Amino acid sequence: MSAPAAPPSAPGPSSVPSLGYRILAGGTRLVPLLVVLVMLPVAALTYLQSRSVNLPVSILTVEVGGVAISVLSTLSYILRPTRAFGPLSVATSSVTIVYLLVLLAQSTYQIAVPNSSATISVGYSLLLDLVLIVPLLTLAAGLVTTVEDLRVPGERLPFDYPP
Amino acid sequence: MASPDGSPTHRPPGLYRLARLFRRLSVVVLVVLLLYLATVGYSAFELARSTPHSGGYSAEFEPNDTVAVTGSLSVTNPGFYSISGFSLALRIQNASGVLLGVLREGPETLAAQATTTFPIALYLPIVPNGAASSLLETDQVLTVGVWANATYAYLFPVSIHFDQNKSWGAPFANFQAEAGTPTDVNGSVVVPLTISFSNDASFADAGNLTVVLRSSTSAPCGQVSFPLNVPSQTLYDQTQNVVLASGCSIAGGSAVTTFSGDGGTIVLPPEAIP
Repeated sequence: MSAPAAPPSAPGPSSVPSLGYRILAGGTRLVPLLVVLVMLPVAALTYLQSRSVNLPVSILTVEVGGVAISVLSTLSYILRPTRAFGPLSVATSSVTIVYLLVLLAQSTYQIAVPNSSATISVGYSLLLDLVLIVPLLTLAAGLVTTVEDLRVPGERLPFDYPP
Repeated sequence: MASPDGSPTHRPPGLYRLARLFRRLSVVVLVVLLLYLATVGYSAFELARSTPHSGGYSAEFEPNDTVAVTGSLSVTNPGFYSISGFSLALRIQNASGVLLGVLREGPETLAAQATTTFPIALYLPIVPNGAASSLLETDQVLTVGVWANATYAYLFPVSIHFDQNKSWGAPFANFQAEAGTPTDVNGSVVVPLTISFSNDASFADAGNLTVVLRSSTSAPCGQVSFPLNVPSQTLYDQTQNVVLASGCSIAGGSAVTTFSGDGGTIVLPPEAIP
């Protein structure tokens, strides 16, 4: 005789990785995040600065914003099995939104071409408006996860970490 | 319901599925944006490598006292995205900063992977004492200000401005009308009139040059016509006798020169006679 089916919302078995494994995986995941969000943009800005081209955004802003987003994203990855995951996802998304809004405020880039009378102005506010959709969606996901963890703690673990 | 290995399976709860939906949507949006940015970057790089081609420029006299500069500008857009709202404005100023003429083109849409050619026609009015009248007799460096505006790949408004200096060769550079000493020839007063100039323009001066000698009260005393066919970059120096009207003195007067060519009539700035 087979066992009765579990109710739809009943938590089942899960195989949550150990904290040490999650820290190791999160640290590994942090490297490409820092490369994409900090190192490459800072390298590009430094290159422009060395060519006497004025920068669209300060290097410090990129460093602070990129590091904050990378660290928060890594923390939420490590703490995904805990109830802190939802609020950390919300915090990561919020910081990303603030970072994009800072970029949006300076989204008309004027370049004076060195050794020339030419000036080039490029606007990218519409692109940033579209990029904002991404953290808004993850913010919504984080809020829903926070509510879910408050209502039924551990309910999502069998699906996040299937056995 | 059971999985193939016999263990029970659970349908994810609603909140979990909703959060997963938001996350998956965010990934889809991010991937689409990254693909879009990659293609925009490639297209912009290709566009930057394709230099706009300008060609066939020529200048000539036109009716209604104008010099017309005509030519064409070809812009190749090798990328994946069209350039919409492309507009071009040129402002030509002389060395003193006086505006001589303005040209506006567009707005046009430059299709992707195509070449669009704009006809250029700039008319500089050459009216006596007008801003552009110095173009007739003075070689000078003109400042051409270029403004271009467009929206690239639907999302990126771009504007470019630069100034270029262009040398202008005058068709009647250093023009001089010199009246000699009047002499009495068979009861008539005759004065030798020497016309000299250098055609530094890119086009020939072909037509007639009519010079009217006026008294100090602007009364016409006599006139003479010089047939012209002066190629580009050539000096001209010719003398003809002018028979003055009886009792008319040109001392303190002026020589008023009119050029009549294929395109029309141009009045040169008057020359004072000592």
